[in-house]
Amino acid sequence: MKKIFSRWLPCATLGAWSAILLFFYFSGRVKDLLHPAFRPYTLIAGLVMLLLAACFVFFPMNLDACADDELAAKSFGRKTYGRLLTFFILLVPICAAATFSTNSYGLSTMMNRGVVDDAQGLKAQVKSTPYVEPPLPSNDKSQPQSQPQYAGVDQTSQPPAPVEDEIPRSKDGNLIVQVVDLLYAAQDSTMRDPLKNQTVEMIGQLMPDTVNNANGKRFKLVRMFMVCCAADARPVAVLIEGKTKPQGEEMSWIKVVGKVEFPIENGRPIAVVKASKVVATDPPAETMLY
Amino acid sequence: MSWFTFHFQDFSFSFLSILFEGIPFLLLGSIVSGVVDAFVPSETLTKMLPKNGALAICLSGLLGGIFPMCECGSVIVIRRFIKKGLPVSAAVTYMLASPIVNPIVALSTFTAFRGQSPWVMMSLRVVVGYLLAITVGFISRQIPLDRLLQSNILPSVQGRTRTSFKISTPVDAGNEIDLSGDTFWKKLMRSVQAATSDFLDVAFFLVIGAAIASVFNTAVDQQLIRPLATSVPLSIISMMTLRFMLGLCSTSDAFIAASFVSFPFAAKLAFLVFGAMFDLKLLFLYQLVFRRKYVFALGIGLLVAVVLICLQISTQL
Repeated sequence: MKKIFSRWLPCATLGAWSAILLFFYFSGRVKDLLHPAFRPYTLIAGLVMLLLAACFVFFPMNLDACADDELAAKSFGRKTYGRLLTFFILLVPICAAATFSTNSYGLSTMMNRGVVDDAQGLKAQVKSTPYVEPPLPSNDKSQPQSQPQYAGVDQTSQPPAPVEDEIPRSKDGNLIVQVVDLLYAAQDSTMRDPLKNQTVEMIGQLMPDTVNNANGKRFKLVRMFMVCCAADARPVAVLIEGKTKPQGEEMSWIKVVGKVEFPIENGRPIAVVKASKVVATDPPAETMLY
Repeated sequence: MSWFTFHFQDFSFSFLSILFEGIPFLLLGSIVSGVVDAFVPSETLTKMLPKNGALAICLSGLLGGIFPMCECGSVIVIRRFIKKGLPVSAAVTYMLASPIVNPIVALSTFTAFRGQSPWVMMSLRVVVGYLLAITVGFISRQIPLDRLLQSNILPSVQGRTRTSFKISTPVDAGNEIDLSGDTFWKKLMRSVQAATSDFLDVAFFLVIGAAIASVFNTAVDQQLIRPLATSVPLSIISMMTLRFMLGLCSTSDAFIAASFVSFPFAAKLAFLVFGAMFDLKLLFLYQLVFRRKYVFALGIGLLVAVVLICLQISTQL
């Protein structure tokens, strides 16, 4: 029994944690959980834990020797049931979470977090001067990045670059933008004017809109915006106005093509995409925006 | 909409992300702890610090600049440091200061607050964090060790006075492993053993903290706290409460704080200072080393101090 607690259970715990970390890393699921800056640490931690587990297998060690003088009876309870509970807590929640976790949040969690439809709700990067910080970058490989420099151009020293030169286009000639691009554009004329009445293409999740939606033709295109990890991710959304009521299930992935407008609502300009085409699509390679 | 809606899949998603973000730092702390245990003789640490107790505490608050450690890792490291003979008050100071007074956190704070007075925020965070940590160190110095440390830690240290400064040293030679005669291989194996032991021990509390934070993150309607942003005192307390519940890592929490644009500067400072010193997971982790009463007193003391400091700062900015 002692051998189980001092050797095999620690070994199994390390092995299981290592396997989960490495599986998520190599399967790409870590992309949904962590900002790119943190992902390499997952790989390193998984490998180190694998190494530690291997040490326990090939070079028997006795954690009790350690516990005798330092761990005493905290999480490593000295009694059998306490130790079992410790390993139960170490193993079961993470295994269950790894098994049942999806790659994005559901509607209720997004609603709980509060949908951000204003760039001020993301970060105070847009200033009231002509100098405008660029939109936050995205690693979404499915949609080429909009080059943000056009937003940060010093208007006093050089004219803004033509928008078509700065933002990538789809094969149909539509500007490919992200939700956050339009949120920032709504706040600053240097970004807003070049985009106004342009046809854009965006991917996101369908969320019903419950405000200012008398005819039921408006809905939200929502993406999660992550700073460090999924725990801090918040939904950002832009309004879409279709010709008909939106088809498709809530939170399903859709591609929207339409013209961007910036009407004044509630005393401030907001971005609305008048959709000409809304089609179901696969989730992008990276579901989060950064 | 109900204020509480729990979905296991969403909970799992948030839970895993917190664990994945925290595990590498926990592991780093455990490895440092294991290396210290196996390779650093007990007297080395006590010799590193000045003999003057006050100076030792002040210096301990700056050690994060040399040994940067986030809050999860610092608990493991100071537990080892205490057993290795580091004065408890100095260890407490290091534990509280290192998640704030370290170059990684300073850089992340500066980066996160670009466009929002980054120099001011970074400087205030470091200075307020340092001052609070050494204050707690000085207070802890006056508290008897048996009221400070867990009963399982206490037997491995004994209070003795060195120039009026209580230090902890191993009780007897039997409890302290003589490292001088060990081969490198033996020391390495011991460090692996100690690192694993520490890691599993603290991971237990990280799992519990991450689970509670994830329930809060996913199931509770966070719109409820938004109106609190309109009042400075309420915003300070609500941001501290949020940080306490979220149990974020100090290396990355500035990015979260910066995103609360509607909240006043002082509230975000409170979020950054208090959260790195005391949050839900730390409430559990600290009890690995310190007595429950001390931990609760520490939490309440830090809360009151941070609120008062940030209220004062809000009037100056």
